[in-house]
Amino acid sequence: MSIRLVNPLNETATHAAPAAPRLATLEGKTIALLDISKPGGSIFLDRLERRLKERYGVAVVIRAMKPTFAKPAPAGVIEKIRGADAVIEALAD
Amino acid sequence: MPALRLFAILQTDCPTCRLITPYLNTLARDATPVTGISQDAESATSEFVRQMEVRFPLERDPGLELSKRFQVVTVPTLYVLDEHDRIVRQEPGFDKQALNEIAGLFGHPPVATPYDGAPASKPGCTSRHLEAPTDEAGAAALNLNSRRGAKASLIDLAGGEDISEYCFRVFGDALPVVPPTVERVEKILRVTGRDADEVIARIPPCYGEATVEKIAANAVMAGCVPDMMRVLIPLTRAIADERFNAHGVQATTHFAAPLIILNGPVRHELSFHSRQNAFSNVARSNSTLGRALQLILLNLGGARPDGIDMSALGNPGKFSFCIAENEEENPWEPLHVEHGFARDQSAVSLFAAEAPHGVSEHNARTARGVLKSISYALATVWSYRNLMGFEAVVALGPEHVRTIHRDGFSKQNVRDFLFENTGVPLRCYDHGEPGEGVQQRAMYKEISIDGEPCYQKFRAAEAIKIVVAGGTAGKFSAVLGSWSTGPRGSQMITYPIGKPTCPSDW
Repeated sequence: MSIRLVNPLNETATHAAPAAPRLATLEGKTIALLDISKPGGSIFLDRLERRLKERYGVAVVIRAMKPTFAKPAPAGVIEKIRGADAVIEALAD
Repeated sequence: MPALRLFAILQTDCPTCRLITPYLNTLARDATPVTGISQDAESATSEFVRQMEVRFPLERDPGLELSKRFQVVTVPTLYVLDEHDRIVRQEPGFDKQALNEIAGLFGHPPVATPYDGAPASKPGCTSRHLEAPTDEAGAAALNLNSRRGAKASLIDLAGGEDISEYCFRVFGDALPVVPPTVERVEKILRVTGRDADEVIARIPPCYGEATVEKIAANAVMAGCVPDMMRVLIPLTRAIADERFNAHGVQATTHFAAPLIILNGPVRHELSFHSRQNAFSNVARSNSTLGRALQLILLNLGGARPDGIDMSALGNPGKFSFCIAENEEENPWEPLHVEHGFARDQSAVSLFAAEAPHGVSEHNARTARGVLKSISYALATVWSYRNLMGFEAVVALGPEHVRTIHRDGFSKQNVRDFLFENTGVPLRCYDHGEPGEGVQQRAMYKEISIDGEPCYQKFRAAEAIKIVVAGGTAGKFSAVLGSWSTGPRGSQMITYPIGKPTCPSDW
């Protein structure tokens, strides 16, 4: 005897987005640094910004900050980092 | 009434435009002259009409000429025009109060209630003609607001497959579940009288569609009686309310889990238990409702404890975390009355809570004595020296309540006393070692508690939420700390529960 079940799992259609290709070099690139506003994130990103410019020849660093780490980034923050060649996010404390 | 017309400038991929569209549908259905103006191409516009079941004429704005003439900055923007095409009212973005006021201009009752799962307000997107030009094609619009979801697929288990083992392995929360057979799910659906594919909410963080049918299937698995849908439907809306922020609560490394608190007649109507063992396994209704919410969060929200749910130590409440307030032993106003509901209105509240921390106090003879003991436990929530950013639920046991009430304390007196007497001595910050909360001490408020200089634990008395719960034997109360709070964290919310006789109002 076969039994028929109603699937209780999420079946909402999703679209997989491919990962962006890796950069061959950082030289001359625009890199966005995203601070999610966890304690210590700015210290880490300040150091990273100096390194990216001094050691890797990054041309432009865009700094953006989420108002809270507890929620998704609002549109304004996404807009600010749009167009960067890569984004580095400082996730936690 | 003067001949007014309502224009709505919309974009098909703007989440706020999608949020506002069902309300415009309601107005249009009731003969309000609504016209939509889409800033997008024909194909995107007709797909939007299909997905959102748009019930008003939606015209296009070729060349964005109209948008430019009206100097639209934000979409959506609503314009109320009089018979001479003069703008009577202009409202950018989504705002429930403004929507209801506009509905009123057309003699229509309010269209947006505080408890439909949508935020009170939400900013819109930039009008197309002001967008920075881009050479990339836009991504396909996310459709996160349509009212119809996909029908659940059916799974045929062939003979020989152990149904319990299959469900345990594929659907559960590490405990066995009741198999969601078609018959059982249909029995629940009949109680609701709603369409199986109606979307009640989308569950963060993966935003799975919680259709009536999916909620029912998870309710079956948790062991709920069919009538529990009366609570599960508003509860599903509440868990997806942006103020509660399930997106964060479900993904955090912290201990928080959604605590359900029930108030009003529903406690008796559905046999919720509010006395001894209030936080544990005393009643089918408490245990199965709490578990159904957890299964919905796991199976539809997608934050599984071995994946997106990153809690370092977890919380036993993630099996089930549901109490009913013991209103019979509560001489003050119950929680939902504090939140603006009538006493005979059933309601469900959510609070992102740590596990209960017991307070035993059998020797204190006065309200002050009992509350002092509770204040010491309150000082420890989140982390002893980290202050101001957190809240707490205080579940007062009936024996403590009797002592406190006998001494003439109102509920507000209790809250104020706990607020004024909960603090951390300044000397605890002087070890010289860095520690959580130490760096922020310049922001803290210094008070004196029993002659000792202290920093005040909470930012306001309202951060302390008081309920009465538990059995009448034993002088115990419990304190439950919060997750991150306020608009940047999770806010306690209370939703009304409809009457048993009106499933259409659930």
